[in-house]
Amino acid sequence: MPMFQPSKKDGLLGFEGGGDGRILDLDTAVKDGVLGGVAGGGFGGGIGEKLDLKKMIEELNLPEVPSVFICPISLEPMQDPVTLCTGQTYEKSNILKWFSLGHYTCPTTMQELWDDTVTPNKTLYHLIYTWFSQKYVQMKKRSEDAQGRASELLSTLKKVKGQARIQTLKELQQVVASHSTARKTVVDEGGVALLSSLLGPFTSYAVGSEVVAILVNLALSSESKTNLMQPAKVSSIVDILNEGSLETKVNCVRLIETLMEEKDFRTEIVSSHSLLVALMRLVRDKRHPNGHLPGLGLLKLISMHQQVRSLIVSIGAIPQLVELIPTLNPECLELALFILNALSSVPEGKQALKDCSNTIPNMVKLLMRISESCTEYALSILWSVCKLSPDECSLIAVDAGLAAKLLLVIQSGCNPELKQRAAELLKLCSLNYSDTIFISKCKLTRTIQ
Amino acid sequence: MGLLCSRQRHNQADSEENEQTAEIDRRIEQETKAEKHIQKLLLLGAGDSGKSTIFKQIKLLFQSGFDEAELKGYIPVIHANVYQTIKILHDGSKELSQNLADSSKFMVSDENKQIGEKLSEIGGRLDYPRLTKELAHEIETLWRDNAIQETYSRGNELQVPDCAHYFMENLQRLSDADYVPTKEDVLYARVRTTGVVEIQFSPVGENKKSGEVYRLFDVGGQKNERRKWIHLFEGVTAVIFCAAISEYDQTLFEDDNKNRMMETKELFEWVLKQPCFEKTSFMLFLNKFDLFEKKVLKVPLNVCAWFKDYQPVSTGKQEIEHAYEFVKKKFEELYFQSTAPDRVDRVFKIYRTSALDQKLVKKTFKLVDETLRRRNLFEAGLL
Repeated sequence: MPMFQPSKKDGLLGFEGGGDGRILDLDTAVKDGVLGGVAGGGFGGGIGEKLDLKKMIEELNLPEVPSVFICPISLEPMQDPVTLCTGQTYEKSNILKWFSLGHYTCPTTMQELWDDTVTPNKTLYHLIYTWFSQKYVQMKKRSEDAQGRASELLSTLKKVKGQARIQTLKELQQVVASHSTARKTVVDEGGVALLSSLLGPFTSYAVGSEVVAILVNLALSSESKTNLMQPAKVSSIVDILNEGSLETKVNCVRLIETLMEEKDFRTEIVSSHSLLVALMRLVRDKRHPNGHLPGLGLLKLISMHQQVRSLIVSIGAIPQLVELIPTLNPECLELALFILNALSSVPEGKQALKDCSNTIPNMVKLLMRISESCTEYALSILWSVCKLSPDECSLIAVDAGLAAKLLLVIQSGCNPELKQRAAELLKLCSLNYSDTIFISKCKLTRTIQ
Repeated sequence: MGLLCSRQRHNQADSEENEQTAEIDRRIEQETKAEKHIQKLLLLGAGDSGKSTIFKQIKLLFQSGFDEAELKGYIPVIHANVYQTIKILHDGSKELSQNLADSSKFMVSDENKQIGEKLSEIGGRLDYPRLTKELAHEIETLWRDNAIQETYSRGNELQVPDCAHYFMENLQRLSDADYVPTKEDVLYARVRTTGVVEIQFSPVGENKKSGEVYRLFDVGGQKNERRKWIHLFEGVTAVIFCAAISEYDQTLFEDDNKNRMMETKELFEWVLKQPCFEKTSFMLFLNKFDLFEKKVLKVPLNVCAWFKDYQPVSTGKQEIEHAYEFVKKKFEELYFQSTAPDRVDRVFKIYRTSALDQKLVKKTFKLVDETLRRRNLFEAGLL
């Protein structure tokens, strides 16, 4: 029997070499790219232990799988392919379900079936299995490579200084960013302590920014977080936050957030002018809108600590935030309002809110516009300000259209506390007006009167 | 024809003149361009804050350092420092023995009394004699006297210079006939700076010269010199403000009733508010950390009014760090309080220094250089 001699020019099958009479076995077929999408790369030999197909498919989670492996019904790779009398192949469980719904046709060809047997397609199964196994082994190897590389880089880091240190850190950052196994290696081999030791009063920006970029990707233990909370280390992180590129700034923000989650966290660590000014700068930077959300997020976390609130007010955060309100997207807006609301709980905050001429108009505009939380915070802020100097503020507020908005809140489906608050505020504001004038300010119709 | 000739000659003279003017203009333009690339750094701070030491360190690190002639030039200064120191200590011991209850502690022993008076007289002269072996021996004897040692431990109440201990311990060497001061001796030598001194240098890194050219100006620190500087310093890239954090329990040389730290605080505030520094980067050097370390465990920070709300939390190294962080936060607070909102984007960084430690100064300056280079890139829109 003549051997099948594939032609070199046979692009359809993508054979490399060939035409020299060797036996076409399954492994070679897959390796040589029968089905496409296989990068060669020195893989040799069969599969060792029995790997579970389902597990491999899940773990690999590949976006591009050869189309002949895909079940036409579920569009997922087939784990138990069966063929119908029409010659079409489907995932067994899917086609049986199709039948159980009362259909006796072939889903793709729409033909009526003259035979309801489903035949397990062993050939296709073997191909699928081999293909995924190869991919899996490759991935494992790359991962091990990454682990090995990470380990190597850590030992290099212990020895080098200057430019070499910066290069090593850059490479380590890339390895850690793309391989979760490398991350584990770094943590297991004491990398966190090593990296933390590089942060201090004499850390250059070049080194510090890379260290933060790496640490932010790792799972930090309680002990390492406590270590990072040393004032000198926090200082260097804050300095990097001040000077850094957007990406570096966001990394610093995330790192600080992680530290704040620790139960031993001491508020004085974030009680720093430099940190708060840096965050406000991040939040206000029009050139880098992607920094607003992280900045506001951290600022919110910090504002939850009572002791730091007056400090936040003292750096002028309130007028800056109030000015930003009209420009923020809903997610950022909610954070900004939370912060302003938290700050309104301290006397300096109330005063600053009142002193800022745009507070009341901006808050009034926000009522019932974005979300219930936003309305809640805006209302609370208005309440604080109006309580502070009822005469002056209710005038401004009512002129800005507060009354009509409050009525909207009361009539809406919001939670009862919110409505209660709105009613109280309405009452407070109405005290300065006679009934007729107030009603006209509310722009009410006769019926509601 | 004659007219034609003379006109030609006239034109020739004209064009020669024009060429000269053009050449001069070109030269001026070139130099202005070159000047623009030179980053000007200004060393500011109260008297005794360590500015001149930093200045000397930069000279040692990035210029050719001091040649033998320059080193020898410091001999009179060093000897003068020795005489001044021992006089202050001797006179101080007299003062303390008269005013205090436990006065006997400060009474110089009988055999040393005569030496003491003699040295005090020498120290009061305008011209000092060369330090001979004999004089050095006498000074050492007096230094070892218990009363003088007791006085030294109360040094903060007098104006005992920081170099006292160093010079007293090296008297033998300083009095050698062929003594040539070491770099360290020069760093410790204390001379009151009057006027302005400047050097131009390029920081040398791993990759040779970084390309940046800096011109560093050092100015006099005492109050009576201050008014002179400020007008000279428009367009300065950065101010390096030196604050000696170890002096929280000392008073001014020029005013015995004023606490030095309070003086520094007021000066810093004043400098920050100057219109000419609106866009200038500020590098705050919290200097004399080595002295601070030793002092802070013995003398509580609250002796200084600015630090009156300080609470110690632990002991030893941790406490030193805690105290340092406290002082640092105070300066940070002062900076932000003295900075108008439109200036808040100025670069402001704090560094911990011990100006006498050359390695530390080199490390610190490298960081300063990095920050300034990044700032330049940022302002050029490249970051």
